[in-house]
Amino acid sequence: MSEKDLKNNEPQVVEEFEEEKLEQPESDLRQEVAFDDTAVVSREKRHMGMKAKTRAANITIYVILVIMSAVWLVPFIFIVLQSFRCESTYLTGYVIPKQWGFDNYARLFTETKFPRWFLNTFIISVVAAVIQLIMVLCMSYTLSRLRFKGRKALMNAMLILGMFPGMLTMIVLYRILADAGMTQGNSIAGLILVYVASSGMGYYVSKGFFDTIPKSLDEAARVDGANRAQVLYKIILPLSKPIVIYTLLTAFMGPWGDYVFASYVAFNVSDGYNVAVGLQWLISTPSNIAANYTIFCAGGVIVAIPITLLFMFLQKYYVEGVTGGAVKG
Amino acid sequence: MANVKLTNVKKIYQGNVVAVHDFNLDIADKEFIVFVGPSGCGKSTTLRMIAGLEEISEGTIEFDGEVVNDLQPKDRKISMVFQNYALYPNYTVFENMAFPLRLIRPKMSQDEIYERVTKAAEILGITEYLTRKPRALSGGQRQRVAIGRAMVKDCKVFLMDEPLSNLDAKLRNQMRAEIILLRKKINTTFVYVTHDQTEAMTLGDRIVVMKDGYIMQVGTPTEVFDRPRNLFVAEFIGAPKMNTFKTNLVKKDGKYFVTPFGAEIPVTGQKADLLAENGIDSQEIILGVRPEHVVLADKPSKETIRVILQVNEMMGNELHLHLLTDDNTPLIVRVPTMNLTDEFRNELVMGKELYITFESKVMHFFDTVTEKSLLYIDKEEPVQEDEEEINAE
Amino acid sequence: MGQSNNATLESKEERLQKDLAYLKLTKFKKILFKTKKFFRGILPWLRNLLFAILNFFKKVGLGIAHECVNIVQTFIHGDWKTKVSYVIMGFGNLARGQWGRGVLFLALEVIFIIYMIFWGGNWLSQMGTLGTQGPEKIYDPIYDTYTTIYHDNSFKILLYSVLTLFFIVAVVYTWRVNIKQNQIAEAIIKSGKPLRSTKGDLHSLIDDQFHKTLLALPTIGILIFTVLPIIFMILIAFTNYSGKNNGYSNNLFTWVGWDNFNTLLNWNSGNKAYSAAFGEILAWTLIWAFFATFSNYFLGMLVAIMINKKGIKLKKVWRTILVLTIAIPQFISLLYVSKMFADNGIINGWIVRCGGEAIGWFSSDPNLARTMVIVINIWIGIPYLMLIATGILMNIPEDLYESAKIDGANVWQQYTKITLPYMLFITGPYLLTSFIGNMNNFNVIFLLTGGAPVNTAASSAAGNAGYTDLLVTWLFKITTGTDALYYMASVIGILVFVVVAFISIIVYNFMPSNKNEEDYQ
Repeated sequence: MSEKDLKNNEPQVVEEFEEEKLEQPESDLRQEVAFDDTAVVSREKRHMGMKAKTRAANITIYVILVIMSAVWLVPFIFIVLQSFRCESTYLTGYVIPKQWGFDNYARLFTETKFPRWFLNTFIISVVAAVIQLIMVLCMSYTLSRLRFKGRKALMNAMLILGMFPGMLTMIVLYRILADAGMTQGNSIAGLILVYVASSGMGYYVSKGFFDTIPKSLDEAARVDGANRAQVLYKIILPLSKPIVIYTLLTAFMGPWGDYVFASYVAFNVSDGYNVAVGLQWLISTPSNIAANYTIFCAGGVIVAIPITLLFMFLQKYYVEGVTGGAVKG
Repeated sequence: MANVKLTNVKKIYQGNVVAVHDFNLDIADKEFIVFVGPSGCGKSTTLRMIAGLEEISEGTIEFDGEVVNDLQPKDRKISMVFQNYALYPNYTVFENMAFPLRLIRPKMSQDEIYERVTKAAEILGITEYLTRKPRALSGGQRQRVAIGRAMVKDCKVFLMDEPLSNLDAKLRNQMRAEIILLRKKINTTFVYVTHDQTEAMTLGDRIVVMKDGYIMQVGTPTEVFDRPRNLFVAEFIGAPKMNTFKTNLVKKDGKYFVTPFGAEIPVTGQKADLLAENGIDSQEIILGVRPEHVVLADKPSKETIRVILQVNEMMGNELHLHLLTDDNTPLIVRVPTMNLTDEFRNELVMGKELYITFESKVMHFFDTVTEKSLLYIDKEEPVQEDEEEINAE
Repeated sequence: MGQSNNATLESKEERLQKDLAYLKLTKFKKILFKTKKFFRGILPWLRNLLFAILNFFKKVGLGIAHECVNIVQTFIHGDWKTKVSYVIMGFGNLARGQWGRGVLFLALEVIFIIYMIFWGGNWLSQMGTLGTQGPEKIYDPIYDTYTTIYHDNSFKILLYSVLTLFFIVAVVYTWRVNIKQNQIAEAIIKSGKPLRSTKGDLHSLIDDQFHKTLLALPTIGILIFTVLPIIFMILIAFTNYSGKNNGYSNNLFTWVGWDNFNTLLNWNSGNKAYSAAFGEILAWTLIWAFFATFSNYFLGMLVAIMINKKGIKLKKVWRTILVLTIAIPQFISLLYVSKMFADNGIINGWIVRCGGEAIGWFSSDPNLARTMVIVINIWIGIPYLMLIATGILMNIPEDLYESAKIDGANVWQQYTKITLPYMLFITGPYLLTSFIGNMNNFNVIFLLTGGAPVNTAASSAAGNAGYTDLLVTWLFKITTGTDALYYMASVIGILVFVVVAFISIIVYNFMPSNKNEEDYQ
């Protein structure tokens, strides 16, 4: 929690999430009471009116929130329910299975190449997350802390490069990777390269974080006898836990759910699929849907569970990163 | 322990903003020098150039004759205390203070590190906090840790960048006194930056008054207070600030008079001699009179000025009276309460008519255009050393 | 922007009078005044922009000229070690005892010469034609099959030519650095100081040159995996590279000049179908980006305000429910939702069971499909915006609201006078990036509708464009399949860039929160 001192000007979302105060419904009315000393009766009346109004507003909000929660959760509940459905047709017109069972999960692991896809995805995500972390930290720390000739030019260049649609580069990258033998069945290495190579361009959130660490810490350390590298790993890195976790988490989630690049690189060779491409393929044609719909649901559940658990534990860091990123632009 | 020499040091930021112009200064070994000036005057920039945190655009900085321009801060053998303390939040107080020692090569033994840190902690009275993290400390304690971290290592120059400005007034006075004591123990060259003239006056062996990147005056506290070289120094040093206004200097039969607001006040003593020495003739001038050199007169006369009391600030041992002359020039007077009768004090309310005059021996005269002193023209100090001034402090 | 010049001419007093006069205006007149000022500002702004661009080129030109002069002067005034370095890179360093640098320079030169002789020169010489003889199929009478014999490969020629050009630029730059170092070394020796040793050089890589160490890997990655492909694809836009002419298994491709741009934009009697499709898809892309961005923004803010309201309990629960949906990969949630609303999906199943008629949510009416996409995108986007808005709302000082309440502001006034301006100011840059992100929002469209319903007019051009297709999904469709029109995809990609850059420049310059990055530090 030592970051707390440093980040005074950061939005303290997480802290405040946790420190929700006990509610004081009357607090809105206090100044009303204080200013209105003359008419006791009317004050009572208005007091009651305000209270009723507040309650009505709150009830409306509760209703909206409950409906919203339902809308947000329903598709996921449906997926889970249907993954346990044994009657394997697509168009049912009902949600709750008539016959429950683990058939879909069994078929997912035996009849499809799901285990292979899952392993592919896992390896890619873990390796990409670690390398991407290093790239992003290098880039963002340098741009935040070090001043050198060409810094502004580098940032502008990356800004301009970011305006080209990423899809555009895929064609040539595919051919380069194909020539290097890193596509189709061997897509793991190729995909890692694609995810990782340009990840330095995603430095914004991380730089925003480093910018909030007072520069005088670096200066103090340098006066105390540290060189630039020592400043980084003795002073800055120990303070960067939130951004390290945020970067790892997003870098992991990206490949975990990526469809476009993965489908491009794997190019119709099912050994090279990741879970997204594999599961999409399961329901990609009308005949496939009819046969595999419930298996897709089972696959979806298995893919979603680890990432959701991870996310729940690290939510705090994610929220910090997202908010900080938006504020810093 | 080193003498520090700055020669024609200049700082130009990109976009041709000149932060420091042609800075020349020779700081003697073990001297305590204070850079003082309003914000944006280049004092911190100069300090940071000495530390190596800012690049030197032009000129050289030498420690003991060795040019250090191209040395990294870590190679300059300096210590520095920062305005916001800059304590490492992830380390305990002990580790914070041990940090500079752990970076020394060849490695220092753990015993010696322990020895040095605990000794410094003892001097500063923070031994009981050694195992705490900085965020568990109050502002004053953090300040001590920051000083402690700077003093554990042997350094040639000890730099302090507004170390007290984040403390509240009471703590600031206490820490100021401690720094004076500390200085005796550390016994090295100090460079201290502040915007507070009281700190500058009480701490410095010599003071460097700066404005807009230029040195306005260098001298001992007494020199800058008693013999300001220009209007800026005169107004900046001393509180409440010196009263300054345009008026005429008249030379009559070899005697000097000033004619503020219709009065005619003679100039006497050393100041008059200096005016004569410098060959000053009758001319328009800017007159400077410190609030303690304004005197309340009992009755109107040729030498007095009629004023109307605006605000009466009771400071305890003295009153600060804010006055307005007939042509709406504001003046401040400092009156010791000791000699005032209660009756008179009760009369001092807004709108009260008063008569004032100025001490004739201690007025300051400045050129209306250059704003330079008409008394102390040369760079050299006046020959006479004995002080004739009346000092209220 | 243009006013600043005039402002300096005005006296302080005049400006103050003008400001005070403005304050006297009624609300309506103030808006009128601002609008006028805005439109009057456009012309000077455009002029300034033009000047800035010209200035940039002037600066670059002058910089290069300056470098050239410096190179010549260094040669004239330099000692013999420096002069030899013009031919043998690193010679000066070696002769002056800086072994590390010298060896590196020399090694680069040797590698470069070998590369150019054996490979690079060959690639570059073919760049003009992109190959002359494509692959041919030769009948093999013994096995009664056709075998393909490969000759030139346009793709490889172009790719390696670009790489070689990269290499040449890098070597020229290094050559310049090498000369500069000689110049500096001479100056240091003249001033009587010692040169930095190789050990010192290495140490500086973790100290004053630390940025070089840190940036090496990320920038090389960006160069090879972003810059190189982008330059390559820009060049592709001027060729006829496609599935039919891929130079690999089929015919060679070659340069065609501006033909592809002409086809797409139809500026000189090109194919009408393309320009019509492009116009329609671009319009929808912009409409989509606008609605997707602002619907999420305001609804997300609303949800955040509701959850943050005093008196609402279980705040953490509401937030967690929304936030958790972020964790679930979009390909699961979007694919599932798209199947829910499919022609024979569960929603239609219910409708049919209740006696209704199945609705083609994504397959029949273009407007219905487009509305559905925007609505479902709200479902995806609100959680993010709720998080962001919560963070910012909690940063608004409470006393602002307290003082507003005391001044008599009601809830709506508090929102419009305090919350909204604050949010807009802080999130200005975010809105811009979010708008651009939505323009290129591949996932939502591709996984949800795949572009459906089919737009018969537009799909006559290429790639089966549908009514919900964005430029990026169209681009993707064009590049898949056997007759993939890579050249068209490149043209579209370049145009997307132009549109994005145009919007960015305009918005960025008129944004109030266009603040200095150093302000944060």
